Amino acid sequence: MDKVAINLTVNGRNRQALVPPRMLLSDFIRHELELPGTHVGCEHGVCGSCNVLVDGKAVRSCLMFAVQTDGARIGTIEGMGADGSLHPIQEAFWEEHGLQCGFCTPGMLVAATELLAEKPDPSEEEIREAISGNLCRCTGYEFIIKAIRSAAQKLREGNGAAQTESA
Amino acid sequence: MNAHTPLQFGKKIGMGQAVTRTEDAQFITGAGRYTDDVKRDNALHAAVLRSPYAHAKFTIGDLDVARGMAGVHLVMTASDIEGHPGITCQAVQQQIDGTKHPVKDIPLLCADTVRHVGDAVAFVVAESIAQAQEAAEAIEVDYEMLDPAIDTEGALADDAPPVYEDRPNNIAFETEHGNSDKTAEIFANAPKVTELKLINNRLVCNYMEMRGCVAEWSDEEDRYTLTVGSQGVHGMRDAITPCLKVDKAQLRVITPDVGGGFGTKVFAYREYPLALLAAKALGRPVKWRCDRSEHFVADAHGRDNVVTMRMAMDENGRFLALDVDLIAAMGAYLHQFAPYIPTLGTTIATGVYDIPACRFHIRGVYTHTTPTDAYRGAGRPEAIYALERLVDQCARDMSMKPDEIRRLNAIPDSAFPYKTVFGRTYDTGEVTAHMDQCMKVADWDGFDTRAEESRKSGKLRGIGMSTYIEACAFAGSEPAKLELKDDGTVQLLIGTQSNGQGHKTAYAQFVAEALDLDMGSIEVRQGDTDELESGGGTGGSRSIPLGGVSVQRGSQALAEMIKEAAAEKLEASVGDLELSEGSVRIVGTDRKLTFADVAAATSETLKATGEFKQAEATYPNGTHICEVEVDEATGETQVVKYTIVDDFGATVNPILLAGQVHGGVVQSIGQCIMEETVYDDDGQLISASFMDYRMPRAEDIPDFHFETRNVPSTTNALGIKGAGEAGTIGATPCVMNAIVDAVYRSHGIEHVDMPVTPQSMWQLMSQAAKKAA
Ligand code: FES
Ligand code: FES
Repeated sequence: MDKVAINLTVNGRNRQALVPPRMLLSDFIRHELELPGTHVGCEHGVCGSCNVLVDGKAVRSCLMFAVQTDGARIGTIEGMGADGSLHPIQEAFWEEHGLQCGFCTPGMLVAATELLAEKPDPSEEEIREAISGNLCRCTGYEFIIKAIRSAAQKLREGNGAAQTESA
Repeated sequence: MNAHTPLQFGKKIGMGQAVTRTEDAQFITGAGRYTDDVKRDNALHAAVLRSPYAHAKFTIGDLDVARGMAGVHLVMTASDIEGHPGITCQAVQQQIDGTKHPVKDIPLLCADTVRHVGDAVAFVVAESIAQAQEAAEAIEVDYEMLDPAIDTEGALADDAPPVYEDRPNNIAFETEHGNSDKTAEIFANAPKVTELKLINNRLVCNYMEMRGCVAEWSDEEDRYTLTVGSQGVHGMRDAITPCLKVDKAQLRVITPDVGGGFGTKVFAYREYPLALLAAKALGRPVKWRCDRSEHFVADAHGRDNVVTMRMAMDENGRFLALDVDLIAAMGAYLHQFAPYIPTLGTTIATGVYDIPACRFHIRGVYTHTTPTDAYRGAGRPEAIYALERLVDQCARDMSMKPDEIRRLNAIPDSAFPYKTVFGRTYDTGEVTAHMDQCMKVADWDGFDTRAEESRKSGKLRGIGMSTYIEACAFAGSEPAKLELKDDGTVQLLIGTQSNGQGHKTAYAQFVAEALDLDMGSIEVRQGDTDELESGGGTGGSRSIPLGGVSVQRGSQALAEMIKEAAAEKLEASVGDLELSEGSVRIVGTDRKLTFADVAAATSETLKATGEFKQAEATYPNGTHICEVEVDEATGETQVVKYTIVDDFGATVNPILLAGQVHGGVVQSIGQCIMEETVYDDDGQLISASFMDYRMPRAEDIPDFHFETRNVPSTTNALGIKGAGEAGTIGATPCVMNAIVDAVYRSHGIEHVDMPVTPQSMWQLMSQAAKKAA
C-alpha cells in the first residue's frame, strides 16, 4: 500500500514523514523518529509502557496508527522537562525511588503527566486509578504513588516551571 | 546527576544512607538503552516458528515457498544445524539410588517431535520482522498429534502419555534429603500428625521488557558477539558456546540495560544461539525480539509444585518431625537450573523452627508444558509457602493461635548459630522478637475491631502471618576490580548484573565511603565479557552481600595505593595522609593532591581488586503480617493491610531495600490472588496474554509498612544477609494464611489453593455454605 504523508509536532518540533498506513505509532516513534524512550511491553494495549501524549492525552501508542496522528501534538519521554533540566514529575520519581528497571517508567511518567494536568491535587485513590493501566513488575507501585503525590505538590508549589505542554 | 543536587562525599552517601540512584537520570529521561533499542546497520530480523501443539510428531514439507518470499534470507530447520547441541541442564542431581539422572536437553530446533506449545520448529530471518513472520507461517508442517501429559501430578500415572519413552511415569529425577529413618520413626509414634496438600501454582515471569537479542559475527575477529538482556554475561556465554561449538574466547556477550530479570533472564534460550548461527551464515547482524504472547510460552515458567506435607507433634503442639513430598513440574525439558530449584528449598525446609527430623522427597516430572526454572526466590518461596501454611494448619488442629505455635517451636535465640537437619548453619536470628515487633506494629490485637468494620460492608476479614527464613548469597565470591582513571574518577568492574535493583548505586556507595568520593566520580561497569573475564552474575540475592564486600575491600585497597603514591609526591608518610573529597591531603594542612594529580604522578595505573569469599549462605528472615478482605457476594479478595519486619543483617541503602521488598511482596500478592497459568487438557496455554493472565496493578496493592530489625550476619563480613528475594518468600504464605483465616472464621474452610480468584473463592464459599445447610 502507498505510504501516507503526515505532518505532526513531536516534543515541540515539527516533523514530517511518509509512513505505511499500518505502521503503529509506537513503531513510528521508536524506529522512524528514533525516540526509543517509548517502550513496548505488550503491543496489546494492556501494559501502558508505550504511553505517549497525543494532544495532551495519554494514549497507548501501540493501539494507534502513525497516520492517525497527522496534525497532532505528540509528547514522548524525551521531550519531558526543558533545556536539560528535569520536569518536577521526573524529579519526584527520582527522589522517591519510583522506578527500578526503568522499563515502565516512561509510560508511568506520561500517565502521571496527564493526571496532574487534570487534577493538581489527586487523592491516593485517584493516583492508583490513574496508573492502574500501567503495569510495573519491579516496584510494587508504592513508591510510584508516593512520587506522583510528591510531584503534585511540587507542581502546585510551582517548584520548577511546569512543562506539561511540551511533554 | 540532578543539577540541583550538591556534591556529597564519603559517609554521607556511604553504607546505610538513603542515596538516590545514579541509574535514574537516564531512565527518567528516556535515555535507558535496552536490548531492543540497540541498532545495527544492515540488521536482519528473525522470527521463530513455534509448535501450536503440546505433543506431536511432525515432518516439514516444502520450504521453497518460504525461502522464496520477499525479503527472506534464511529458513533454518533442525536439519540445517545438525550436530549443534541443544541447551543443556547444568544442575544434575544425585538421586536416591546414588545415580545421576539423565538429562533431556532443549534442542535448538525440534527435529521430529514437539513437546510443548511454543516449542521451536524453524527459525526464519528476513529484512523485516513482518516478512520473517509471514515466511514462518508459510512453512508447511505436518503434525501428527499425540496425547499430552499436562497435569503435574497426573503425569506420574502409569497410563499418562510419556514425554520421553525412556522415563517411566515421566519421572525426570527422584531425590531425597534429610534424615528419613529418624523421621519415619518419629511419625510412627507421634501423638499428633497434621497433613496438608498444596498446589504452588505455575507462574509466568512477565518482566516488562521482553527478551530479545542482537547477534553478530565478525570474520576479522573470528568470533561472535551477542547483545542480550541477561543476569550475568559470563553465565550466558558459558551456556551458549557449546551450542555454537566454539570456545569461550569466540563469544563476546554484552548486556545493556535490562528491564527486569527475576531469575528468568539468567538463562540461555535457544533463540540466542540460533540468531548467532544465522548471523554467521548470513554475514549480517540478526535481531530477534520476543513478543508478549511468545514470552508466555517460550520463557521458563516459575513454581508449579504439588506438595504434601505432614508434621508430627507432641500433645502440646511441639514439632517433632516434618515430612515433605514434593512433585515439581519440569515441563518438557530440563531447563538450565530446573532440578536445582526444588532442591534449593531443602536449604530452609524446616524454616525458623527447631525441628529435629525431616525427610524431603522430590520427584521432578516431565510434562508437555513450557519448562520451569528459577523465578524470584527459586525453590525457597515454595518451601516456605508450604511450611508456613502447614504451621497454621497445625495451630488450627491444636486449637492454638498462630503466634502461639510459632513461639513454642521457634529456634530460640540462644540456639544460634543453629545447624539444621540439612546441614545448613543459620548464623544469627531473633525469631520471636521479630514476630512480636511485627505484631505490635501491625496492631494484631486490634484485628477484631477492624474485622467488625469490614463486616459492616459485607467483607470477611482475615489476618495472617508468616515467619520466614531464606538462604541466599550462597558460598562463593564476586571479585571487584577498581581503577583510578587519569581524570581522578574511579572505575569499578564487577561481574554481577543489575536488572533494575540499583547495584550501581549500592556499589558506588561503598566506593564513595572508602575513598571519600562523590557519586558522580564513580563509574560502575558491568555486562561485557571483554571487560571482565569472569563473573558470577546476579541471582540468589548475592550481589550486595558478596559483591558489596568485595567492592568495599577493593576500594580500601585502592585508597591505600592512592595514599602511597601521594606520600612520595607530598613527601609525607602514609600515616599522615587522609582522603578528602576527591583529594589526598596531609592531615591538618592544606597540602593536597587531587586524585587526578595522583593518577598523573604514577607511571602505572593504580588498580586494586577486592575479593570476599563467603563459606556459607546468609539467612535473612523476618515476619510478614497482612489482612485481607473477601467480598462475600463476589468472592473478590483484596489485601488491605501489610506489615513487614525484616532482618536483613545490615542495610546498605534503605530506600533501595524497601523497593526490593515491595516489589517482591507484590509479585507474591499476584501469585496468591490473580496470576493463573492455565493449560487445558490438550496442553494449550489458555492464559497467554495480559488479557487472560491478570497481573497486579496499583489498585490491587495496599500500602506497606516496612521496617528492619537487623541482627548482623556473622558469616558476612559486613553483616549483610541479602534481600532481593525475601519479599517473595515471606509474602505468599502470609497472604494465604490471612485468606484462609477469613474464610475459616466465616465458613470453616481450612484449605484454599492459589490463586484465589473471585470465581474459585465464590465456589469454595458456596460449597461450604451448602455443606453447612
Ligand atoms: S505496549 Fe502498548 S499497552 Fe503495552
Ligand atoms: S520499574 Fe521495572 S517494570 Fe516498572
